[in-house]
Amino acid sequence: MESFTLTVKRTFKTSRDSYIITFNEKIDFVPTQFIMIETPSVVRKPFGLGNWFADLAIGVQVIGKGTQYIVEQKILSAHGPLGRGFVPPSGKGAMISTLACLAMAFDLHQRCGCDVFIGALEEPQIEVPFKTVLGDQQFVELLKSLKGYDWFYVVGSDQMEKVCFELLHDKAPVYLSFNEYMACGLGACRGCAIQTKEGLKHVCVDGPVFRGDLIWN
Amino acid sequence: MELKPPLVIASGVGGMGEYLQLIDSKYIGAYTLKTITLFPKQGNPPPRLFATQNYLINNIGLENIGIDAFVENLLSDKYAEVFDRTKVIFSLGGDSPDEYKAVAEKIAPHERYFEAIEVNFSCPNVKEGGLNILSDLSSFKDVLSCIRKTLKGFLIAKVGIEGAIVEKIAQIVEDHGWNGITLINTVRGLEIVEDRIIKGGLSGPLLKPIALRAVYEVKNKTHKLYVIGSGGIMCEKDVDDFFKVGANAISLGTVVYKNPMIVERIAEHIWRCYR
Repeated sequence: MESFTLTVKRTFKTSRDSYIITFNEKIDFVPTQFIMIETPSVVRKPFGLGNWFADLAIGVQVIGKGTQYIVEQKILSAHGPLGRGFVPPSGKGAMISTLACLAMAFDLHQRCGCDVFIGALEEPQIEVPFKTVLGDQQFVELLKSLKGYDWFYVVGSDQMEKVCFELLHDKAPVYLSFNEYMACGLGACRGCAIQTKEGLKHVCVDGPVFRGDLIWN
Repeated sequence: MELKPPLVIASGVGGMGEYLQLIDSKYIGAYTLKTITLFPKQGNPPPRLFATQNYLINNIGLENIGIDAFVENLLSDKYAEVFDRTKVIFSLGGDSPDEYKAVAEKIAPHERYFEAIEVNFSCPNVKEGGLNILSDLSSFKDVLSCIRKTLKGFLIAKVGIEGAIVEKIAQIVEDHGWNGITLINTVRGLEIVEDRIIKGGLSGPLLKPIALRAVYEVKNKTHKLYVIGSGGIMCEKDVDDFFKVGANAISLGTVVYKNPMIVERIAEHIWRCYR
């Protein structure tokens, strides 16, 4: 783990509020690890690392001033990579993601060959190399139709992850990436605690990926 | 206590030394560990953080492993790398006067490991202890006396601005033979985010004028206390201001979250301007 600056190669929209930012640099990371990026806020914000074709990339959903700042920059200060990363179980897996996490999905697909399904509220503004469904109803139908997988990995909003868990956990283990507020990202501040069946865990050092049945019934 | 540079990493922010992975220890005068209490604390339920450009509200609740596990780790060299690389300040906390005294007794045989012991009299995120100690001055004086008898090294009281007038508290601290005071801890804050109330200790740039005033008043009232200025220091100018009102050292907290490399920049500024 180290501090570094990243120079933006390209920032492009994937939807009305989501972007992929690619960088000129490379970072050695394992799937689902993240970096903490400086914003105008007094704390940095975590972003999952991924790839977009040959480039290092992150996905950003603009939800406030900090994320808006990030998509407007040419140089970003950050530290990382952080988190335990996700080692996919053996067998055939499927990742379910939003457009905001497309770079992470691309990376996991490249590394372990898992299938990727994207849930979007509207037509993507780029060509997405994975099966993409639009709207809540189609998304639920997609989840119900998924069969023959040994594991699922879901990354998206809290609400989306909950829906996925409810519809998938009887079929195979469901792994979820958590988005808790962080200040340090490296286990010092203890700010990103989540309640699990095994007591409090910290998303930055114990996660960010947890088995869904450790959190929910 | 001689710190080179007179720059301290604040308790809580630095965890148990994790930021030494990012900050070169030569820029750190002393690194304060996370507050340790008598019994392990799970901390407060999430959410624990909320931040803006001007402040951070944290509601961690002194999550820590407790003094027995801490001493066990200490003796098994779990923190050896931290001690090898920098001077370390132990942060002592409690939920009652008796707990403060008990933690002091348990850490006393191991004082040699630490540059100083800072006693956290002001955590706003626990129901007992912290602020409550300061609101009962006779109990506070009793704790100061007992801990002074138990611990022989450099003793620092970390206080906030709530509970009692800070210069009065500082005078009491000095009168009980303590060596230093850290001014100030976070103050109680509240924010409403998406209809949810988030309560906790407020830190960051918003605190600076309050902390600066506290240092100013305490330096005018006391004579011997080593004063560590803490609260909202984000840049070199803030450091200059704290030294101008008499701080002997400065403590960096929230700014470390924003950019750990600022520590190195501020240390270089101190070397350049205050050597």
